[in-house]
Amino acid sequence: MRTDGTDVVEDLNRLMAEEAEACLRYFQMRFRLRGKGRAAAEKFFDEALKETLEHADAIARQIRSLGHVPTLRINLSLSGGPMRPEDALAEALEVEQQALDAYEEFLPRVSGHGALEDFIRRQIAVETEHVQEILEVVREAAPLKLVAKPTT
Amino acid sequence: MDTWKHFEANELTHSAAHHLFAIYHVGAAYGGWARVSDIARRLNITRGSVSINLRALKKRAWVETDEHHLVRLTPKGLKIVRSVLAKRLILKAFLSDVLGIPDAQAEIDSCKIEHLISHSTGERLAQFLRFLISGPPAARNLVERFRRFHDTCPKSRTCDLCKGECPMDELKRAV
Repeated sequence: MRTDGTDVVEDLNRLMAEEAEACLRYFQMRFRLRGKGRAAAEKFFDEALKETLEHADAIARQIRSLGHVPTLRINLSLSGGPMRPEDALAEALEVEQQALDAYEEFLPRVSGHGALEDFIRRQIAVETEHVQEILEVVREAAPLKLVAKPTT
Repeated sequence: MDTWKHFEANELTHSAAHHLFAIYHVGAAYGGWARVSDIARRLNITRGSVSINLRALKKRAWVETDEHHLVRLTPKGLKIVRSVLAKRLILKAFLSDVLGIPDAQAEIDSCKIEHLISHSTGERLAQFLRFLISGPPAARNLVERFRRFHDTCPKSRTCDLCKGECPMDELKRAV
């Protein structure tokens, strides 16, 4: 980690962008859902968008605690027609898996950094659970349920 | 005229082309394999976006992934990248070497067009370039004469190009 922490902050900004973008993606996704299982999927995305926003907020607070102002860079244009719940969930799985990978890759860089390391470990635990949950739903068409996500 | 529909039907979108290029360039040092995070950084977008965009490329069998979420071009994807890069090279050479467009603008414009023109048009354009550059002296002379040529429209505002409407005037108005 650089002594002024700017490289870590840059990575945190990227993580925050992942979460904030996922939030916007889920926000729009709810309006594309059509067909069987729509109500459950809509509820899933309702919760997921809140959680991703909470995650983005938690990361922003970590950045602030390092003495920096969060920088949010998102280049996003969302369009597209109706979507079946299973396709929407498959997309959500991609997004969540990438968030998990990003946290896991980031973890060694904050090793020994007390609170920040703990925070990243918690995020990994939550994202792992979330990915598993979506995987199960996608594979088995199991009923949608949400896991509680600690954010601090 | 339904030509505009061909633009929409073009299976290689601008975004898809750039994802393929990114995989090609990032993976060059790693046996063709690229990490999603590196692709995201190169394209200046999030990994989530890259991952979702890759789904469409996977469906077309242009890219493949392994169990570690690494990505590489399939032979089909590599063929597309090479052909589009070839067309970019040809277009840029035409724009800068023949038309005299500044390098930076030639780069931007060739990037916009590269994935839209057909292979046959690219090939014919390459032949035209070769004709002009390494062809008979008269052809090279033609390029030289063109570079010194500064057109002014006739007072009548009609010529063989205009056929009733002056495109030069329209372009000047658009600036």
